[in-house]
Amino acid sequence: MNDEYTPKIIGFLCNWCAYTGADLAGVSRIQITPSLRIIRVMCSGRIDPLFVLKGLLKGADGVMMMGCHPGDCHYQKGNYSARRRYVLLQKLFEDLGFESERIGLWWVSASEGPRYAKVSSEFSEEIKKLGPNPVREEIFI
Amino acid sequence: MSNVLKIKKGVEQGANELLKFLLESEKVKGIFTLRKMNENGAVSYSLITHPKELQNAVPLFPLMPVNAGKILSGFTLKKAINEPIAAVLRSCELRAFIELIKRTQGSLENFLLISSTCGGVYPLKSLTDGTYKEQVSQYWESAKNAEISSDIRPTCAACEYFIPQQADMTIAIVGKNDLQQECSIFLNTKKGEEFTIGAPGNIVSEDIDTKETAKLREKRQEQKKKLFDELEKNGSGIKALVKTFAACLSCHGCSKACPICYCTLCDFDSKTHEYLPSSHEIELEQKGGIRLPPGTIFFHIGRMIHMVVSCVNCGMCSDVCPVNIPVSTIFSKVGDSLQKLFDYLPGKDIEEPVPFGTYKEEEFTEIGE
Amino acid sequence: MTATQIDSNKMPTKGAIVSAEEGINKTIVDIFKKSLEKKCFDAILIPVRVPETEAYAWVLLKDQSLLDEANPLPPIISVQGAKALRSLTKRGKMTQNIAAILRPCEIRAAVELSKLKQIHLDNISLISIDCPGAMPLSDYLADPEKSKKIYKNVLEKWGENNSVRPVCHICNRFSLPSLLPRKSEETSPVEQDEANLPSIDLHIGLLGGNQEKIFLIPVNPKGRKILEELELKSDDSLDIWQTKVSEVQDKKEKIRKEFNLELKEKIEGQEKLTAMFNECINCHNCMRVCPICYCQQCFFDSGALTLSPETYLSRSEKKGALRFPLDTMLFHLGRMSHMVLSCVSCGVCEDACPMSIPVAQIFSLVADQTQKSFDYAPGINKEEPLPLQDFLEDEFHEVETPKEVN
Repeated sequence: MNDEYTPKIIGFLCNWCAYTGADLAGVSRIQITPSLRIIRVMCSGRIDPLFVLKGLLKGADGVMMMGCHPGDCHYQKGNYSARRRYVLLQKLFEDLGFESERIGLWWVSASEGPRYAKVSSEFSEEIKKLGPNPVREEIFI
Repeated sequence: MSNVLKIKKGVEQGANELLKFLLESEKVKGIFTLRKMNENGAVSYSLITHPKELQNAVPLFPLMPVNAGKILSGFTLKKAINEPIAAVLRSCELRAFIELIKRTQGSLENFLLISSTCGGVYPLKSLTDGTYKEQVSQYWESAKNAEISSDIRPTCAACEYFIPQQADMTIAIVGKNDLQQECSIFLNTKKGEEFTIGAPGNIVSEDIDTKETAKLREKRQEQKKKLFDELEKNGSGIKALVKTFAACLSCHGCSKACPICYCTLCDFDSKTHEYLPSSHEIELEQKGGIRLPPGTIFFHIGRMIHMVVSCVNCGMCSDVCPVNIPVSTIFSKVGDSLQKLFDYLPGKDIEEPVPFGTYKEEEFTEIGE
Repeated sequence: MTATQIDSNKMPTKGAIVSAEEGINKTIVDIFKKSLEKKCFDAILIPVRVPETEAYAWVLLKDQSLLDEANPLPPIISVQGAKALRSLTKRGKMTQNIAAILRPCEIRAAVELSKLKQIHLDNISLISIDCPGAMPLSDYLADPEKSKKIYKNVLEKWGENNSVRPVCHICNRFSLPSLLPRKSEETSPVEQDEANLPSIDLHIGLLGGNQEKIFLIPVNPKGRKILEELELKSDDSLDIWQTKVSEVQDKKEKIRKEFNLELKEKIEGQEKLTAMFNECINCHNCMRVCPICYCQQCFFDSGALTLSPETYLSRSEKKGALRFPLDTMLFHLGRMSHMVLSCVSCGVCEDACPMSIPVAQIFSLVADQTQKSFDYAPGINKEEPLPLQDFLEDEFHEVETPKEVN
């Protein structure tokens, strides 16, 4: 069953670093996992934890948050907020038994095309192992 | 060593005497405390400005119709009070008020804060089914012996923060075995001392006895563990959540009763979370069936994300839930865990910023790599 | 003219009698399974029991297997059906055809909401069902097994059992007659037909069937078409059903009258009414579960009622004490003045009250009387404007003339 399933992963990428990095990976013709569907945000600090929650509850198998390395945020401090929100989300999901492995946060700079490809394919493999999101079967959510 | 005002009356009467003194001496313009509404035990928070109305005051009545922190925030939302007012509230209510002030939802100015070491409160249902009448008699016995009163709110039975942190005065209840003869009021701040000059009773210097309160804290911590472990019986993960919230009516009563939820228009009530029929139709195709109204679990977890770092475990949410969902237990459990993660105790220190909305540059450095 | 008078031209006399050997619930569920197979509808909106629990939730479903745990008449009303419909079609119309099986009070609330532009009824087939009432929510939660047994009894001994909620016990709008457009003396017969289309397509009759059969009653051509597609003949006589409905109707009218007289005495006057709300904690649960209260932000939750501390102090000084949260009676009477003309007496407010205040009984009593003075019945005529949305130049002159002073 798992061989048949291609995970659907949503990625929130910050415009200045992560998205540009993803773009670079594409231009450099590096193989990128087809599982990742990208949503561009201006800053990782824009990522409302509710986006991540909503994504998972709607049946996404994984959600990735990507932004600039700490200290390099185009808006100075957005990524620090993103980091805290991610930590909060992860612990919250852990406490609820909600498969906190389905979310992740990575710092990917504009020049890190290969890194982008690496983290997304690694994450995709992890998600594949986890199997489809059990929320997909739930009617009464 | 602390200064303690001792009034030679039972604790409930003693508290009333203190309030009477504060109002009659005009040291305060008004008293904010619980007041009897009828003979069936209905009580309501009231702002009392006339000493005659103090006859109906029941400051230590073990019932919380609303979280007083929420009320005081609404009171001082537009601006701070300009006259001194004495407010009697429980530890969690005071903590909630402080959490709200951190979010610019009120002001502490000119309040004389009177609290007590808290034996907990009864669920509102005990009022409607009349059982509180029998229960309240053993309430004071349990408090005296630093034991957990049975039938109080589950979150009260599991509460280890029953000693108020930011009060000007604390009425000793837990572990005080001469409760029926003497009312001891610890004067924690200069303000507390100033306002009790001339009060009926004697002011003595005393050591705060921590033995009895430590005893209760231990018992409560055990109870907390038991309470959280019980949640596991539904399992974990999405299936457990669905089961727990199966009966949810999406009334959002829990949010409205919660002192920390202060948004005038909750995000989950706003147009942001209203979807076009096409959105539902797509999901219907994918799943074969959708629950209406949508977003039951999303609301609860979303609300959790928004406020749980400041959850003070008052238990109002469970009390107002029309379908008896143990909201307060779940939020309490996750709140406890998240607060430990950020090394944060809501309401402890008014200078301490809320961990959601702030950050440190050097923290969680392993994340993201 | 009461809400129960109906235009005899519209009352259907023929329908399909279906045997209910396997139990009423199963029979109805099987009919809807068939309707999905035959593509009468793309989806059905019906209460479904949440697996491994005793809770019911509204589900819009295409998957027939979900109908296995469906129940058109659960022992309780969880979410008011009109609210569920509103969460689906507030922002626009359905493009697929759905059938919604609702209790009569839920149908009426849905029609009221459609007048208020909160529900788009296009492509929605409203199907009503005879309703014996619902159990009090707190009773059901305390002992679901016992309540289910009691409810079985309620379904058999219609109208005699008062284990249902008080507003249900006195409900005189439990069947088809209360959902049909009323005869209007002012309009000519032609205008009547166009303006007075019933809002429902089909009604499921249970009364008079003795638990052995049910009556599928088409109310309009669309209803007849549905029965055709289900391969059911709609020319059986509805006499037994109609007779039983009238019988129960008369009983209920009496019960309602007596009850409301007693209630009026209990709440009459400022003192008694205020005492009723002594235990109110201002949680506003009643407002939030009410299908008619649709405001995104209730006036009574808004900043409009937040005052400055000085004002609170001076208000307190007037009487010596000021109760918080403030303005309990302002909230209840204010909410009443906002929505009581559309109140359908569904009773979810009383179920939701954590202090067991008889909100529904009080609002229902006032609703009866205020709706009567406007000769208005909520939720029946889709085209009938709400009394406060409309006016006639020539009416209510009696309130203009000052009363004679002796």
